[in-house]
Amino acid sequence: VSTTEVATGVLRELRTICGDDNARERPAGGVYVSPASAEEVAAVLRLANEHHLTVAPAGGSTHGSAALLHTDIVLHTNLLTQVEHYDHADLTVGVGAGTTIAQLDAMVKADKLMFASDPALPERCTIGGLLATASHGPLRHGYGGVRDYCIGVRFVTGEGRRAKGGGRVVKNVAGYDLMKLLIGSYGTLALITSASFKLFPAPRQTRTFLAEFATAKEALEYRDRVMASPLSPMCLELVSPGARKIMRPEMMQDSWVICVRAAGSDAVLARYRKELGLAVSRELEGENERGMWKAIEDLGCEVAADSHAEMIYLSVWPRDVSPVVDAALEASALEGVDVSVIGRVGIGLLMLRIGAAERSASEGASALIETLRQKFADRIAVKAKGATNPWPIASPSLASMRAVKHALDPSNVLRGREVF
Amino acid sequence: MPTPAVVEQLRKIAGRDAVLDRPEDLMLYEYDAGVRKCTPAAVVFPQNTEQVAQIMRLANSAGFPVVARGAGTGLSGGAIAPEGGVVVAFARMNRILEVDADNMRAVVQPGVVNQQMSDTVAHLGLYFAPDPSSQKACTIGGNVAENSGGPHTLMYGVTVNHVTGLTVVLPSGEVVHFGGKTAESSGYDLTGFVVGSEGTVGIVTEITVRLLRRPERIATLLGIFETIDDGAKTVAAITAEGITPAALEMLDGWTLRAVEAACHAGYPLDAGAVLLIELEGLAELVEEQAEAVRTVCFEQRAREVRRAKDENERTLLWKGRKTAFAALGRLAPSYYSQDGVVPRTRIPAVLEFIGEVAKKYGLRIGNIFHAGDGNLHPLILFDPRDPRQLELVQAASTEILEWCVNAGGSITGEHGVGLEKRNLMPLLFTDDDLDVMLSLRNAFNAAGVLNPGKLFPTTRMCRETTGPSANPVLQAEGM
Repeated sequence: VSTTEVATGVLRELRTICGDDNARERPAGGVYVSPASAEEVAAVLRLANEHHLTVAPAGGSTHGSAALLHTDIVLHTNLLTQVEHYDHADLTVGVGAGTTIAQLDAMVKADKLMFASDPALPERCTIGGLLATASHGPLRHGYGGVRDYCIGVRFVTGEGRRAKGGGRVVKNVAGYDLMKLLIGSYGTLALITSASFKLFPAPRQTRTFLAEFATAKEALEYRDRVMASPLSPMCLELVSPGARKIMRPEMMQDSWVICVRAAGSDAVLARYRKELGLAVSRELEGENERGMWKAIEDLGCEVAADSHAEMIYLSVWPRDVSPVVDAALEASALEGVDVSVIGRVGIGLLMLRIGAAERSASEGASALIETLRQKFADRIAVKAKGATNPWPIASPSLASMRAVKHALDPSNVLRGREVF
Repeated sequence: MPTPAVVEQLRKIAGRDAVLDRPEDLMLYEYDAGVRKCTPAAVVFPQNTEQVAQIMRLANSAGFPVVARGAGTGLSGGAIAPEGGVVVAFARMNRILEVDADNMRAVVQPGVVNQQMSDTVAHLGLYFAPDPSSQKACTIGGNVAENSGGPHTLMYGVTVNHVTGLTVVLPSGEVVHFGGKTAESSGYDLTGFVVGSEGTVGIVTEITVRLLRRPERIATLLGIFETIDDGAKTVAAITAEGITPAALEMLDGWTLRAVEAACHAGYPLDAGAVLLIELEGLAELVEEQAEAVRTVCFEQRAREVRRAKDENERTLLWKGRKTAFAALGRLAPSYYSQDGVVPRTRIPAVLEFIGEVAKKYGLRIGNIFHAGDGNLHPLILFDPRDPRQLELVQAASTEILEWCVNAGGSITGEHGVGLEKRNLMPLLFTDDDLDVMLSLRNAFNAAGVLNPGKLFPTTRMCRETTGPSANPVLQAEGM
């Protein structure tokens, strides 16, 4: 039986489940399907189990094109956009996995609230994708990661069972914390159909303070001073000269920038000015401020469509940021690739954009990861964007991961053949 | 039931003085701070991870169930031994192994007392944020098992938000390491999964915790209200102002009179309710917020708003809150503490309902709770010597928790499910939800050798109960 023949029979069944318009053939082989409810998702997954087919979830494809996924069925979440609850006075919301970050932002903004995730391409990035990849933007510094404010999740396991974890309230320890298990699992355990979140009051005014330095080391020493101060900024970001050039090609200075974003009254902002001191060379507000943070959020978003660029995401000890950046720059020179760095350096999260004019960026990225692994061993965690395996360094807890995978997706349907 | 030979083997593993098996010693380990009891067959005090692994392997080969125990301050029966079970107590694994101020982390053994962690790093200007009311006694291992909260979790989150790595002894006896000092780990977030799993998937033997920097300024306010309803409405009004206090606690008038009599915190004796509101952060911000909170309180008809003048006054106000449970011991021989959660806008309604339930059952119910996140602790006073009273208490509790669930809330905000609320799980979860959770437990703990009978409802499994000759492990499991 050829792949195409399987697809034809399966396509018919998928159309019965999801409607004729919501299942179609993929040019690369296999099918696309867009279920409109959790029941339909469950039916699709049960069908896949029955026919021994693999399923890859797809949201806004900001981590890579769905066309490149090596799978029998691409399950799009684009029709899962229902609002399950929005309790603005309780600061909670629950939406379908296909809802984009921009849609959610717009909904809560009207009530002066904020969803505290600011990943790349919010107009495309979906809630399901955000959770599956545990993506983060600059707000990760001040508000924590999505694992810290996702309060409930509904999902369909690889086996096709509908279930949930958590709920709708901000404090809840009933049952296992399945949110934690699914967040960052890259769609290998279950398909998230909807999720609930804690919201935050939107800041009434913000300012961004930029301090420029000749070297990464000086910039990170300044970070230390900010971290040791009584300030608690919303964002604390490092931008390398290379990253700055990608964001603002007209910029000529070769400086490392520490960007500090603060919220508060005039008196609070005055205090930031005083504490941040003379190192601050510019202060941004309004459109300029928003534009700069958007550029930081979106850095690397073009990578998915460009074989000459690759992103890797590192989580390192805050103290190791300086040596990791040095090692990455050194290795990139040896490998003949360009490395641009941004990151939430107060908490040790770094994003490296690998650009390679002459060769494939993924080879350059692999070489770089290997160098970092040898140097920093278990003090570093790595995730790769758009890659077949999101975890380029095998997790030391692989056996436990397999046990979890087997419990929820025994036939390895979800992203089967790709990750496990 | 472990035989004398098994007890002898436990002694070989942990040391001759590290195993208890005399009835008078075991009695001390038959209860926690909740209302359930079961005498363990033995108690063992391991001193390192390898000994814990050996104990687990012995449990598998000899066929006895095991439960980990910290200080026994839990309120849901999580650390109560199953019939014929062995308690693995962490009193001798109580060392802080490393303080890494540069990376804002500490690595600790599970027996470290919560308060001791913060005290140890105070000179560095750091602290450990989760602060259960039992923090002077409870252990970080217990906090991890139950995903404990506390008053300040409103701003800082519960235990899982402050743990980045774990060393775990799996039920098989295998030792694994999840996460580390990094903010994020490679692969699944198994650290996050194990925290709050109530000791049912592994025994945690080392914990990497996140430390926070102490805020520059703390303002502690006491809002005094004529009625409990005014106090309850103020909670939502403060949130609507865009202010997230570090803590926002409420005591009803009846409870605060009992507390005042016991600890002289300076609470007003004739108030309907008080709110204890704490604001933390940059001095300028805290002063603005304190002013805004004061205004909101008066708008909601507060009679008076006091502010602690110094650390002594602050400590006194908190002493009243943190010792409130104990203070109620003056009024009745025992109390039953509930842990339901409602969306915070439903606080006025749920308090009214609790009043009706108290009337209906003829019980005295005090309310002292984490108002900011809607986490209630109705305290129902009773006399455990009267079995009829316990029945009434449990019926009243179930009614209150059903109300919470119907309002979109939960049966537990921070105490855990344990033995106490396992049969209420179907209020929140479908059979499929529970099956998924059970399949995850079974992925690590299929034989139920580790903390059997907890968290999962027995009601749906009782049909499978077999005769007295069955494996004690499975029997305790209700299978």
